[in-house]
Order: sequence, then C-alpha cells, then structure tokens
Amino acid sequence: MADLEIRDLHVRIEEREILRGVDLDISRGEIHALMGPNGSGKSTMANTLLGHPAYEITQGSITFKGEDITEAEPHERAKAGLFLAFQYPVSIPGVSVANFLRMAINAKREEPIQVKEFRTELQHAIELLDVDRAFTSRHLNDGFSGGEKKRAEILQMAMLKPDVAILDETDSGLDIDALRTVAEGVQKLHDEQGLGALIITHYQRILHYVKPEFVHILMDGRIVLEGGVELVERLEREGYDQIRQEVGAGVGAGDADA
Amino acid sequence: MPESAESNGTASAAVKAKPGRHREATLYQALAGAGAGDGRTLGELREAALNVFERSELPVWRRSGFWTTSFESLDFDSLQTSVTEQGVPEVVGRTLPDRPRAGRIVQSAGAIVDVQLDPALAERGVILCSLEQAAELHPDLFNAWYSRRLPIDRHKLEAANAAFWTGGAFLHVPAGLAVEHPFEIVYAIDRPGLAQYGRTLVVGGPGSDFKLHEYDLAEDFDGQSLHAGAFELYLQEGARCRLAQVQDWGKGEVFDVSTRFVQVGRDAYCHWLPSLLGGHLVRQHLELAVSEKGGDMAFRGIFFAEEDEHLDVFAADLHETGPSGGDVHWRGAAAGSSRASFEGLIQIDPGAQQTHTYLQIHTMMLSPKARIDAIPSVLVSSDDVSASHGGTVGELDEALIFYMQSRGLDRATAVRIIVEGFFEPLISQLADEPLQELIRAKVERKLASARDDIETYASSR
Repeated sequence: MADLEIRDLHVRIEEREILRGVDLDISRGEIHALMGPNGSGKSTMANTLLGHPAYEITQGSITFKGEDITEAEPHERAKAGLFLAFQYPVSIPGVSVANFLRMAINAKREEPIQVKEFRTELQHAIELLDVDRAFTSRHLNDGFSGGEKKRAEILQMAMLKPDVAILDETDSGLDIDALRTVAEGVQKLHDEQGLGALIITHYQRILHYVKPEFVHILMDGRIVLEGGVELVERLEREGYDQIRQEVGAGVGAGDADA
Repeated sequence: MPESAESNGTASAAVKAKPGRHREATLYQALAGAGAGDGRTLGELREAALNVFERSELPVWRRSGFWTTSFESLDFDSLQTSVTEQGVPEVVGRTLPDRPRAGRIVQSAGAIVDVQLDPALAERGVILCSLEQAAELHPDLFNAWYSRRLPIDRHKLEAANAAFWTGGAFLHVPAGLAVEHPFEIVYAIDRPGLAQYGRTLVVGGPGSDFKLHEYDLAEDFDGQSLHAGAFELYLQEGARCRLAQVQDWGKGEVFDVSTRFVQVGRDAYCHWLPSLLGGHLVRQHLELAVSEKGGDMAFRGIFFAEEDEHLDVFAADLHETGPSGGDVHWRGAAAGSSRASFEGLIQIDPGAQQTHTYLQIHTMMLSPKARIDAIPSVLVSSDDVSASHGGTVGELDEALIFYMQSRGLDRATAVRIIVEGFFEPLISQLADEPLQELIRAKVERKLASARDDIETYASSR
C-alpha cells in the first residue's frame, strides 16, 4: 500500500469540475513528476491534497498512511507528514523565517524543540539551500525575490521533514542557478531523508536536476499517460499537443482551465 | 467646524451635512489654542468648570454617516466619587511588569494609594507626587503649567474632571536630567459605581530625557464606572520623552472620556504610543502639538476593540510652527460586534513652514459584525510643507491562513500570527521589552476571547 493513495478524485471549484477522476500512488522515497499544460488541473491537485477550503471534493478519496484524509483540515494533513511547496508563497509580515519555522516544527511535536537542536538543523538546511544566514531573520517572504521565496519553501521542507511533499510549479520564475539549487535540494532530501515528492510542472527543465522515477501526464483533469523518465524526453520532443492527439479519445478540449 | 457636544446647542456644520459629503472635511477639531490656565487660581478654575458641568448634559458626538458616540447610556447620577484610601488594587500588581522603574504613582478611585520615587532621582530634583500636593508644594510649577493647553468647558465630563478631580499625578523632570527607567502613572478602578477623575500634569525640563508609561486598568466587575481623564505633557527645549499608555478597562462597563495633550517645544522630541485595548465606551481626544521650531515627533497608536465595545479616537498631529517633523502611524483591529472609529488629523498652521509629516492608519476586521471607520484629514495653511496620508483596510487573508495551516499550524494560531504581525511594526518600536511583552500578551488574550467569532467569520465567507 502506498503512503499517499489518491482514488478516483473529482474536484470542483466554483461549480466547475477541474479534476475528473484522478488515481495516483506516492510513497516515501519515490519521486514523481506530474506534468501537464496550463489548465490541466495541476494546481487544483496541489491545493486539494493539502485541503484548501475553496476546492470541493465531489467524489473519490485521499488516503495518507492508511488514514482517510479526504475531509481532514490542512494542518492535520501537514502534521501527518504532507507538505506543499507553493507556486506563489504568501508573505507573513512580522514573523521571521526562523520564528515561523520554530512554530511550525513545534506544532508537530509534543515538546518544543531545543534551541541547540533547532540551530543545528537550521544550519544544515541553510547550507543545503545555499542561503545567507541573515535570510532566516527576515520576515517570511516579505520583500523576497521570486528565487528567495522558492528557496524559503524548500528550506521549510527541509526543516519540517515531510514524508511526501508536493511541489507546485516550484520551477516557475526561477533563473537557472536558483532552479539548480532548489532542485538539488529536493534531490538531497530524497537521498538523505527518504523524501517522497510529487513535482508538479509544466516544463521539463527542473527534471534535468531532480530525476523522477514516475511520470504522470495530466490533461483536462485526468491522468492520460504514465511512465518512467523516458516520458519526459518524449514530451520534450513532441510537446503536449501531439500527446493530446494520441490519447485523444475521451479527453475534452479546454473546459478546465484552472 | 468646532468640535461640539450635541447637547450644548452648537451643532457643527458636519452634523448637518449629508452622509458622506464631508469625508475629506475635519470632523473633529484640534484644540489648537490656549487652555483654561490663564492666570486664574485653581479654585477659580474649578468654579468655572462647575458652572459648565451644571448647565450641560452628557455628551454625544454624532458624525452623520459614520458613527455616534453617546454617553447617554451612562447612569451618571448613580456614580460616586471616593477619596478613601483602600490600597493598591490587585489588577495593578497583576498587570504591571516586574521591572526597574524610576518611580510610580497609583491612583485608585479618587485617591493616590502609592507613590514611589527612586531617592537618587529625588535628590537630583525630580518631583513625582499627587497633583493636589503639587498645587500646594510647588505652586510656581503648578501655576505655570496647569491646564495651559487643556480646556475645561467643551462638555460635561471634561468640566466634571476640571471641577472635581482629586489625587492626580504630577511629574517634573528637571533640566538636563536623563532617566533610564520609566516613570509609571497608574489609574485603577476597582469596583462599579465609581466616577474617577484622573488628572495628570507632566513637565519635561529643557534637555531632559525620560520615559513615561501610563496604565489605565480596572478589575473585571459587573456594572458601570467612569474614568474622565485629562492629561497634559509639556516638553521644553531639547527635551525627549518616550510616552506610552496601556489602557485596558477589563470586562466591566467602564466609560472613558479623556483628553490628552502633548506639547513639543523647541528641538524637543516625543515618541507617543497609546495602546487602547479595552473599555465599554471610550472616547479619546489625543493631540500632539509641535509648538516650536525644530520639534519632532512620532505618534503611534494601536487599538483592539472586541465584543460590544465602542471606541472613538481622535488623534491630531498639530504643527504650530516650522520647521517641524511628524509621523503618525496607527493600527487597529475590531472583533465581535465592536465599533471603532478613528479620525486622524494633520493640521499645519499658518507660518509652520518646512513641516514634513505623514499619517497612516491601518485597520483589520475580525468579524462581519464589527465596524471600523478611519478618516484621515489634512488641514494645511502653509505652502512650503509636505503632508499626506494613507492607509489600508484589511480582513483576515484566507490565503495566508491556508499557507500557515499547510505548515501544521491550526487556524487559531494562524490568525494569532496574522494579527500579531499586524500590530508588530508598532509594538517593536516601543523599544521596551517588558512593555512590549505586556501589550503582546494583551493582544493575544483579546484574540483568544474573540476566537469563536473569528471562526464564524471564516466559515461565513
């Protein structure tokens, strides 16, 4: 049984059905890529898995480590070991990166983390993500550049040590250096901590730095093609349109654009 | 437009205007002139105030289309004054931070119940005593400054203060003296049925440098009490003062109508931060006047209304001469079915050239039943100046809450972090750790009590 089991997931937002029966299994230690064109339902997938209240599950289930979390609150999912790296991280005025991390870590624990242990882990994460020490005393995402925001996301992931992380278009808006740092960070967390990841992306370039074992292609709210890393190469050669034509039957065009 | 109590028959133009028509107009007016202290003796001033008191009704401030602040629900005739010394109320010990202080004076009901002053400071000429004592023992200082910029006749409760005050606080920091720890002035109400007339006079001598913290506190009781307050602070040439106020009248039905006036003299500086954190019905007239060249000030304030509290703040940044500087920054939140109104005024008088000032007010709604009105206005009568205002109106941001929840923090914690983060830019400027901790704790307690309300708000959206 996989750690994260998604079965026949149908999701609606504002009366429009975006996901129309998705099945997906992800376990610790596995790296998956979920690829798809704009409007295929990728971000809906990310938000739904963490329980965003605007997304309504009309059918299907999400099970995590044997527990049905279809109806669970977002913070309960996080405490169970899920993580979402946001496409557009919001800023939290008045709260430093370090303080926010301490609060988030303590929310998952019975006893507050010891100062020394926290410092050691923070130092490790800082080196992994190649950020300045001063970074952690800035207010979270407040005035951060696009690259800094994404690094802050991965920094949080490194500190919170989830079992399965969903990375929602973490590659968007990153220059090549930031992209490499972020992707290599994910790869290291996978190698060192056994992180399971669902990398959601439109493009192939992040997958040059972090290697997925499983690739799923999402179109119009359904997974239409699955395979190994060779699928990324094929997509690079052929593009989404060709794949759409191939899998054609049963895939309606463009009635889902979220 | 004169600020007028509805009852005294001088209804202002703003009262007659159609709703919304004068949004840019000054609704409340700065005192902007001399106070009542014009050479009359204390006895004569009390007599004059008594006359006003007797011929006026309880005040109502009505701002058509915005808000009405009415003291008519106060059962004034059933209130009593008390000058019996009954010790320091428990709420004082419970609330004030345990910290080094330069001195402390506590008034409970109408009596001063505690005065402490660091003997080393007394030796260097600091005076901290009841205002009654100051009138007797330091007549020169008292007569020179008492009611210098405070009027006694704008409404019944202001007149009541001027006519009936007992106890009171007086602080004089002599020229050139820098004091490290804060002076604390405490007004406490320990039971219902009281009318407390708090009167404070503080003079910072030339080049003095000190901190002053005022606490307005009440026990949690059932029933009405009144605090009618008058506060005046004069900073002479080159004096510097960090002034803060923590007001939390507790769960009782405490009415508070106070006027506070701070005058910044030549090259003097004041950093003033009132934190208005609780009271059944509160009206505060707050005025910071830069009255001589080179004066500078930072006027900050926070408020947080909950349940059925009603808060009405008028904060004026008055420049009587230039060059002068000003910087006004307020932040307020409202939960429950509370009502808060804030009017901020920048007034630059004729001749106050080279004045530069800015006013900003940020508000946050925590409940669909709460309401906050924020009206900034600017009255400029000089041409070589810069004055502007800005602000934001906010609600709880669901995207922020979801973000924090996705990190394992529950909703209540996420809301607490947002609201604390909202106030933090001002709290952090207090540069006084014990006071910062106290205000943060009070904000947190108010949030906890508003928690159900905030949940309901979220699920309704």
